[in-house]
Amino acid sequence: MAFTLIILLELTLLYLAFTERVKRFIFILMVQGLLLFGIAYLHLKQVNTLEFTFIVTETILIKGLLVPIFLNRLRKKNNLERLAHSKLPSFVSILAISAAIAFGFLLSEKIHDNDLQSKFFSASIAAIITGIYFVIIHRNIFTHVIGYLIIQNGVFLLSLAVGNEFPLIVNTAILLDIFVGVLVLGIFVNRVGERFEEMHIDELAQLKD
Amino acid sequence: MLVAYLLLAVVTSGAVYCFRNRTATLLSISLFLVGQTVLTVYAFCHLNERDCTYFTFDSLGVILSSVLTILSFATFYHSYLYLGRQSDNKRNKSIYYAALIMLSASLNGAYFAEHLGTLWSFIEATTLCVAVLIYHDRTNHALEATWKYVFICSIGLAVALVAILCISIASSKEGVSDLNLSTIIAHAQGMDTIWIKITFILAMAGFSAKMGLFPLYAVCVDAHTVAPAPISAFISTTLMNVGFLGIYRMYCIVAQTDALPWANKVLMIAGIFSMSLAAVQLLKVKHFKRMFAFSSMEHMGIVVLALSAGGIGYYAAIFHIVLHSFAKAGLFYQIGQVCSVYHSYVIKETGNYMKLNPLGSIVVILTFISVTAIPPSGLFISEFMMFKSLFAGRHYFVAIVALFLLTIILYVIGKRLMHLLYYKGEGVATLEPVKLNNYETFSQFVLLGLIFYLGANPPVFLTDLITGATAILK
Repeated sequence: MAFTLIILLELTLLYLAFTERVKRFIFILMVQGLLLFGIAYLHLKQVNTLEFTFIVTETILIKGLLVPIFLNRLRKKNNLERLAHSKLPSFVSILAISAAIAFGFLLSEKIHDNDLQSKFFSASIAAIITGIYFVIIHRNIFTHVIGYLIIQNGVFLLSLAVGNEFPLIVNTAILLDIFVGVLVLGIFVNRVGERFEEMHIDELAQLKD
Repeated sequence: MLVAYLLLAVVTSGAVYCFRNRTATLLSISLFLVGQTVLTVYAFCHLNERDCTYFTFDSLGVILSSVLTILSFATFYHSYLYLGRQSDNKRNKSIYYAALIMLSASLNGAYFAEHLGTLWSFIEATTLCVAVLIYHDRTNHALEATWKYVFICSIGLAVALVAILCISIASSKEGVSDLNLSTIIAHAQGMDTIWIKITFILAMAGFSAKMGLFPLYAVCVDAHTVAPAPISAFISTTLMNVGFLGIYRMYCIVAQTDALPWANKVLMIAGIFSMSLAAVQLLKVKHFKRMFAFSSMEHMGIVVLALSAGGIGYYAAIFHIVLHSFAKAGLFYQIGQVCSVYHSYVIKETGNYMKLNPLGSIVVILTFISVTAIPPSGLFISEFMMFKSLFAGRHYFVAIVALFLLTIILYVIGKRLMHLLYYKGEGVATLEPVKLNNYETFSQFVLLGLIFYLGANPPVFLTDLITGATAILK
């Protein structure tokens, strides 16, 4: 079952290469949040109420609901419909993300570590590389936030792969930081939308000698 | 103790934000500063003791916290003057003070963090607080710098979090189930070198955004350029120190393994690249704050170079971090005064400062001597120790390149500051001397005095603390 969810998650990464609609990006993030819940739930050795509540909060509530709702509000406020400002055609992106997924599998196979959950590890590597690739090829700062969130989803999977768990209070602090970070980024995306004609990184290149 | 301090920070910043009147603000800030001082003294008195499971009052934490406390007093004072000269927007002022309190608290949390997850979460918290402070002026430039800073730092710290997870993989093989620094260091010797190397390179890349070091140095430069002068002073010192702390903690783990020579090479490359880029950028710089931001980058390069050299270089790295904090803070505070004379930070639009503000000019000359490590500046001692360790380690080529780069940097900074002091061309010759608050300059003299004093006669408790901080590496 966990394998199926991981394959679905990797398919969502591939879907990012096809689409240009902002609504779809946000939808993918929502789906990823729900898939991460399933993966994390299946990963639990025993269901502890506190741990379960934390996972529900992190995946369904924050990654699956609050962040997508917030991004959707930003989208509406700034009239963002399509973001076709990638430097590369979709075909190249599909190849690149496929390569990232293949690299994740190969790396986990190569490491072959008993202490490492390779199925999570391969997906996390793929998600982190896809997120970084997404940030590099897009010139719109809204998509940069989407890329950052994909990286964070990859880091979440990596934390599952590691098996060594952080104490709940530390996990909560990290989650809070990331959530507030996304809110702050969103606020500044909004400000850029108000001040500049377009949300291009080219508009944000005045600070130089 | 630290939980009480953090609660105090939340309460006082909340009070500043909610009440928005002069008395409540002054009272809250004073209360916070007292709390900050008490924490530093308490940490010094309880050296190497654990606090609330996730914190330890170790030597490096105490050193950096002491620097933070001294600079907090100066920064709050200069902020009070800076905001007084600006429009009377109570909301913006309250946000500024509240963010500054939370930034100081987050920095202290990171300095004393024992658990790697705690360290990460406090460093990420500093990014969020700094964002508010950089954006204080609400200009397009401020927006650009803030966006870049928050975004790149968030990406960098996500990479650093991956590094922490990698060390977790390495430590779990050794049967270590928690991520406390002391436990990891104790078991580091048997850890898989590949995981250790991956951890170090990722941590180095991630925390470089905070330390203003190659490769993610650019965001720091933009942030220091745009932020209000007291904030530039604060973040180009205490915030860069927290980046150093992140790298140093990881280095302490690596130092117990066979990957140490490899890590030293990584640090050496980062140091030389940082110094080279700073030197090249300084040649074309047109803005005072940008010039000092690149100077900070150069100093961070020196620090990691000292660390990579080993031996006495370890001592030099920490000593340099302390002295650089005082020198750069003093310089940025003074540049704030320069701006109030010329209403600009652009080098070409300044000059004749010696006549317009003689007291400030003395500060400029003294900070020039300090920052460029000319004797009797304390930074000369730390740089001398750095070169000594480089030559002792037979890194002749690196040492010669570093000396060459420092010469270029000394020339450029000297030329620009002499322009500020003595240039009597168009636009500045007719300017009348400006009456400035002498107490404003007093704090800069105190910081400069500390640099010269600590360099010539470092007190025993400081040398003991630095020795204690580097003991794990020997």
